[in-house]
Amino acid sequence: MKEYGKPLPKPTPWSKPFWDGCKRHELLIQNCRDCQKPIFYPKMFCPHCLSKNLEWMKASGRGVIYSYTIVSSYAPTEFSNDTPYIVAIINLKEGVRMMSNITGCPIDKVKCDMDVEVVFDDISEEITLPKFKLISPVC
Amino acid sequence: MSAFRGRVAIVGFGEVPTGKFPDRPCLESALEACREVILDSGIKKEEIDTIIPTGTFFDRRYNTDMVFSKLVEELGLLRIAKNNFQVFAGGSSSSVMLKTACGLITAGLAKVILCVQSDKVGSSPTQQMIDLFATFGIPDEWETPYGFFMAGSGSMFATRYMYETGTTSEQLASVVVSNRKWAALNPNAMLRREVTVEEILNSKMVATPFTTKEGNVLADGGAAFIITSKERAKDLPNPPIYPLGFGGRVCHYSVAQHADMTRMGFYEASQEAYEMAGIGPKDVDIAELYDGYPIYPLITLEGLGICKRGEAGAFVQEGNTWPGGKMPMTTNGGMLGQGHTAAGGGVAILVEAIRQLMGKAGQRQVKDAKIAVESSMGGTFMDSHVVILGREVP
Repeated sequence: MKEYGKPLPKPTPWSKPFWDGCKRHELLIQNCRDCQKPIFYPKMFCPHCLSKNLEWMKASGRGVIYSYTIVSSYAPTEFSNDTPYIVAIINLKEGVRMMSNITGCPIDKVKCDMDVEVVFDDISEEITLPKFKLISPVC
Repeated sequence: MSAFRGRVAIVGFGEVPTGKFPDRPCLESALEACREVILDSGIKKEEIDTIIPTGTFFDRRYNTDMVFSKLVEELGLLRIAKNNFQVFAGGSSSSVMLKTACGLITAGLAKVILCVQSDKVGSSPTQQMIDLFATFGIPDEWETPYGFFMAGSGSMFATRYMYETGTTSEQLASVVVSNRKWAALNPNAMLRREVTVEEILNSKMVATPFTTKEGNVLADGGAAFIITSKERAKDLPNPPIYPLGFGGRVCHYSVAQHADMTRMGFYEASQEAYEMAGIGPKDVDIAELYDGYPIYPLITLEGLGICKRGEAGAFVQEGNTWPGGKMPMTTNGGMLGQGHTAAGGGVAILVEAIRQLMGKAGQRQVKDAKIAVESSMGGTFMDSHVVILGREVP
């Protein structure tokens, strides 16, 4: 695999199952067995009821774009060759939020509330980043 | 009614010019601001029993010096000062320093408090400062890997806000126009040239919808203010300025976790502050609003009830917040005009509210200003603070 050259996430003991899931191309989120609330990003304990009785569940991988920005210049050094690129906040169907990139789409087609689904980008031996693509055929 | 209300007064302010001053040590900015506020207030320096230096970004060593009482020694207050400690919340340090000071005075735990800020993010090595602000407050596991950075946070809020309210790029740019008109009247401001909407929209796009001219400019600066009891304020030269109400909500660490990016915490914070102050939006004479990016004053104007939801953009575009307008806003020029001195961006805006209410704002003085609102936000705009100040206690 060729040198990736961008910042890699450093998994914590409690986020490792998430990143292991991404490697298998599965999007996992936590669920609190006590208060039944979904949790993302991965937490040591439930931020709603402080329970440590958490489980992992497979998310649908579908959601909508809550907001986004097209980064055009002055990007962080490692991303300067990638401009323009889209950073977006995704509302997953399961009711949690995550930040990601929207890929494989003409940059000016993106709008808020568009339906998206997860795609997996194997960026290194260890890390696979979940990214999103538009579901509708505007691309 | 809150215990501090009517019992605590701000009695002076000090500020050094904001800009890029490579030869001006950060300590000099802090000391000049301290000296100026002491002289301005008419307080004998030996009366100061508590010094609160807020946090500094450009150099960890300098910040440690501030925590470890460097200023107490420089001001000749060894064995006189009872407390020296830091109150720091990034950009919202202004509001939380004042809040903390009000509590200490009201509780009888301090008699005279000097709050001071200084930083040197404008003339420190550029790449170092860019990297610092590119990564601070951005979760390295969940956001950095996607190429997200500080300048993108204002854009995220703006995109959703424009989508929900129909606010236009021209209207957002008009916030910069307004702030730069005020900065042109402010001798302490860095960007004193007025700009047009066209010039702003034609400058280089950074992260949609914002161009380079809609981003704040890093600067060096320093400012200070003194708080004491109403009784002590009586025979001092400045008209005492009374903190009347505070409101705050902490809404995220990670930008993606901000529940409502179009309202932030300003609706709740404003209501809380108004109730404490016993006033409403119609009583506000000046809105000294934290900017950073043009989106935030719009959301704040709406949270404060000065504008209806979705109408703040048109309100600013029509010139209502300009010099001579019916709601003078961010009259020092804010971070888009005076310059962004890290935590000092907010402190400068609070100092401007004090200055205006004291009637000492010179060329940009708003006539008969009696009630000012100050707002602030820290981190990647993690929290929403509202402070109401008055020349009288209603």
